[in-house]
Amino acid sequence: MSQEYPIKIYKKPDLLCSSLVLGWSEDMSNLGRKVTGYLNRKLKGQKFAEIETEDFFSLGGVAIEDNLAQFPESKFYICQEHEVVVFQSGSPGAEWYKFLNSVLDVAEHHCKVKEVYTIGAMVSFSAHTTPRELLAVVNSAETKEVLSQYDLTRDLDYQTPPGERPTLNAFLLWIAKERNILGVSLWVPIPFYLAAMEDAQAQKKVLSFLNERLDLKIDFSDLDQEIREQNEQLARVRSRFPQIDDYINRLESNLMLSEEENGELIKKIEDFLMEGD
Amino acid sequence: MGIKLYQEPQLENPILVAGWPGIGNIGIIAVDTLRRILEAEEFGEIEPWDFFYPRRVVIKKGVLEYLEFPNSKFYFKRTEGKDIIFFIGEEQPTEGGRMYAEGRKAYHMANLVLDVAEEFKCRRVYTSGAAVALTHHTIKPRVWAVPNSESLIPEIRGYGNTVLMSDIEGRGGHGNITGLNGLLLGVAKKRGFEAICLMGEIPVYLQGLPLSYPKASKSVLEVLNYSLKIEVNLGKLDELDQKVEQRIEEFYQQIPPEMRGQLDRLKQVADAQPTEPGPITEDEEKRIMEDVEKFFKKRGGGG
Repeated sequence: MSQEYPIKIYKKPDLLCSSLVLGWSEDMSNLGRKVTGYLNRKLKGQKFAEIETEDFFSLGGVAIEDNLAQFPESKFYICQEHEVVVFQSGSPGAEWYKFLNSVLDVAEHHCKVKEVYTIGAMVSFSAHTTPRELLAVVNSAETKEVLSQYDLTRDLDYQTPPGERPTLNAFLLWIAKERNILGVSLWVPIPFYLAAMEDAQAQKKVLSFLNERLDLKIDFSDLDQEIREQNEQLARVRSRFPQIDDYINRLESNLMLSEEENGELIKKIEDFLMEGD
Repeated sequence: MGIKLYQEPQLENPILVAGWPGIGNIGIIAVDTLRRILEAEEFGEIEPWDFFYPRRVVIKKGVLEYLEFPNSKFYFKRTEGKDIIFFIGEEQPTEGGRMYAEGRKAYHMANLVLDVAEEFKCRRVYTSGAAVALTHHTIKPRVWAVPNSESLIPEIRGYGNTVLMSDIEGRGGHGNITGLNGLLLGVAKKRGFEAICLMGEIPVYLQGLPLSYPKASKSVLEVLNYSLKIEVNLGKLDELDQKVEQRIEEFYQQIPPEMRGQLDRLKQVADAQPTEPGPITEDEEKRIMEDVEKFFKKRGGGG
């Protein structure tokens, strides 16, 4: 094992021109973790490196998720055959510039990464029956041109609103630009009432793009099955609770719900999907 | 990571005046107002990436145009009295979600600021901040001055409207200055610079509000101008003060009458001499502090 503080390399990758796909654990709807986890599973990703967490994460205790104590992790996986590197990590709470540069050091110097893809979710006030959209923010006009042949929304205008801060993905894209690495930040708007749940449709949207772009030849039949099951569950909620059906109908007609109605819809859907029927 | 100087101005034994945001933004408004009035010229900066998380991103037609970081800039002005280097930090580098800078990063930034001061053979540093005090917003704020060397005390005694910590009742000459406005003073001491922190008084009941307090910035500037032997018109601060005063009055009228009655008594503090016992007893002072704390908790924070 070689070590370049704060990076630990377990195995020297043998890549010629690879792409990095990066997902954060704390993403809305678990999108980043689900997509990178799916890629690792399908492409037989092997862990080969990690970033030591002590400088970047608050280690004042542990988070508990699904009954289990968690510890922040920042791990790299290699999918040799497809020249893909996957990075799964918690969002660092400090030393962001050093952390993101460490990620790109591994990508650039050990994996010869030429393109970086980040995954993120945002809240949408449309219904789950509306097809998911995939938005792309890029770090250069050249990258935008490269993506012109894909089904992406590529003309987003955005400025950080007062009182908010840019995302870690924007920070990474900017550092990638400084290093002349093509960077793409992928965003899927997720129906607000699925934000705390998993959204298989959103995962498929991102994965389909990566599949095409990186020529991965993934069979999505398992994910399609998940989408069918989730749609069936949501259809059952609608038929059992007319009020919920009414709310979703209104969203489907592009009408806004009141704050109270939004809250009721979220609660009913979450209760139903978590407890099962 | 480090310092980037765009030019090397010829300066004669300059004074460094530094400011970061803090309570009521008293220090940074004072320093920045003086910089603007004197039309000081920008000549360098501390690169932000290792200290700060970006504060704004601009995306145009899907392309990330730029990422904006808080600025930490140096300016200079040659005056007849003294040449001045200004340092203005738009944010304090914080760690672990704390409000004010502390720890390794803050220490590093303080040293970088002093590296520039040293390069230009500066030996005197001023910082500025807020002194949370049992005072009333209708009273002209005093300036609490904290030097980093005993030799500066006689000079401070000659400043008008200024007190040393030993002049503040109940303080016994002790206290602490949070954040970089204070830390720079300590680092300057370690590196052999003379330094003075000038803190404008802000009433205890205003410290949690998201409002600037230009009245105190003006007091600080009056002292600073005297010390630097420069004369500038501070009318702009009066205009700003009038606007803020109106919002403070609106807030003040929302305070429950009983508590407001207690706070009204703080107006009498102005009549007391610094070393005399104040017109408010220790128990009353404690009660006021508790009431203020309860009021803000009930209100749901500082806003």
